[in-house]
Amino acid sequence: MAKTIMIVDDSASLRQVVGISLRSAGYDVLEGSDGADALKKLTGQKVHLIISDVNMPNMDGISMVKEIKKLPAYKFTPIVMLTTESADGKKAEGQAAGAKAWMLKPFNPPQLLAVVQKLVLP
Amino acid sequence: MTTPASSPDTTPFLLRWQSTAFALVAGGVAVASGRGVAEALVASALIAGAVFLDRARGGREAQARGAHAAFLASTDRLGQDVLPVWAAHIENSRQQMETAVAALTQRFAGIVDRLDQTLRASGQGVDKGLSAAFAHSSEELRGVLDSLKDAMASNAAMHTEVQNLSRFVAELQQMAAEVADIAQQTNLLAINAAIEAAHAGVEGRGFAVLAQEVRKLSALSGATGQRMADKVGVIGEAIRVARDAAQASARREAASALASEGAINGVLDRFRGVTQAMEDSAAELKQESAGIQVEIVEALVQLQFQDRVSQRMTHVRHNIERLPDLLSASRRSFDTSGALAPVDAEGLLGELEGSYAMADERATHAGGSPKAAPQAAVAELEEVTFF
Repeated sequence: MAKTIMIVDDSASLRQVVGISLRSAGYDVLEGSDGADALKKLTGQKVHLIISDVNMPNMDGISMVKEIKKLPAYKFTPIVMLTTESADGKKAEGQAAGAKAWMLKPFNPPQLLAVVQKLVLP
Repeated sequence: MTTPASSPDTTPFLLRWQSTAFALVAGGVAVASGRGVAEALVASALIAGAVFLDRARGGREAQARGAHAAFLASTDRLGQDVLPVWAAHIENSRQQMETAVAALTQRFAGIVDRLDQTLRASGQGVDKGLSAAFAHSSEELRGVLDSLKDAMASNAAMHTEVQNLSRFVAELQQMAAEVADIAQQTNLLAINAAIEAAHAGVEGRGFAVLAQEVRKLSALSGATGQRMADKVGVIGEAIRVARDAAQASARREAASALASEGAINGVLDRFRGVTQAMEDSAAELKQESAGIQVEIVEALVQLQFQDRVSQRMTHVRHNIERLPDLLSASRRSFDTSGALAPVDAEGLLGELEGSYAMADERATHAGGSPKAAPQAAVAELEEVTFF
């Protein structure tokens, strides 16, 4: 059975690009358009990894990570921040919130897949 | 653009009243001191001149104040009317680009999906369908060839049997010849017996009759042997004809089987060639399609620029949207206090810098050339930090 990865980004085109890369590698993909939308869609189903943007409307990525870590079903789900945000302070916030990796956009699909394979839950 | 702070407008106002007071005091002092009318007139003229100069200066200052107010009103209008239009254009362009790129990405994603489905379907069809059809056909035709070979083997066995019959015919002919020879020998014995019976005279008459009968039997035996030889010859000839016919038939069957095998192998070879060509074509198509898929995915990756451009435009728009408030505040300050308050450009720049997310934005802000931005973007491409 294919593993499920959630993509959270307010850019529809970026969700598409990430989705194509992941689907071509055999993963099922779940999408959220911002942090609040992602939390609404995490309803207890198994999610093996979450890839999230940082700067988003309604709820930003770091706040979303903090909220996810409070959910028993997802507190061990690894989260990769995929963002244009390169400031060290923001990275530190992401790390403190519980993110597992910080990856800068524009991303390279093979590299994204390597990160996914390294962190995805068994 | 900032306006340098000017001195408060109250200073020329005070100076104006100070000079008027000074002229009035001078005229009064001259009259009071009793120095004469001429001096009083001079003093009055001085007073009148001072008053005139004072009014002229007041007019200029009022003009300057009006100009300041008009300038501030124009900058306020710039902020209220022009800047929102700029910001709206930026936002509209950003949204149009985002919508267009999202639609483009969606369509490319659809192409990738359809290519993927087509590849899977055609791969299964060609790999399994053609191979299975070829294997089945090959098996069927090989079965036909095996049947032909079995028939030829049966014919060969029958031919061997017929040849064995020929050998028996030769043995029968030999036996018939031996019977004829025995009959001839018996006849000679009977003749000798008849001669001896004649020599014996009357006593040998009975023996002569016996010898006569033996000769008849020997003649009958000889005739039977001859008929046997004749019949065996007929049978032998029939067997030879049958054998020759069987040989001819076997040769024809062998030639026919050989031709059939050649034809079947030819058909199978052509079929194999066609299926191989189709498989090669399908494999090439698969490879090309996979290549196109990769190209499309790479093209999609390049579309990530939209996200960066969108963010950058949003940051600039937010900063532009802040300027009208600052210009209005400057105007309000002038209206209430009469003082020209500078627009806080440093603060505005600080806000803009604080909104940056990307290194190339910071590089541009710091004075990097426009060319520096793509280089910065490339430099960031490989960066991943694990916590």
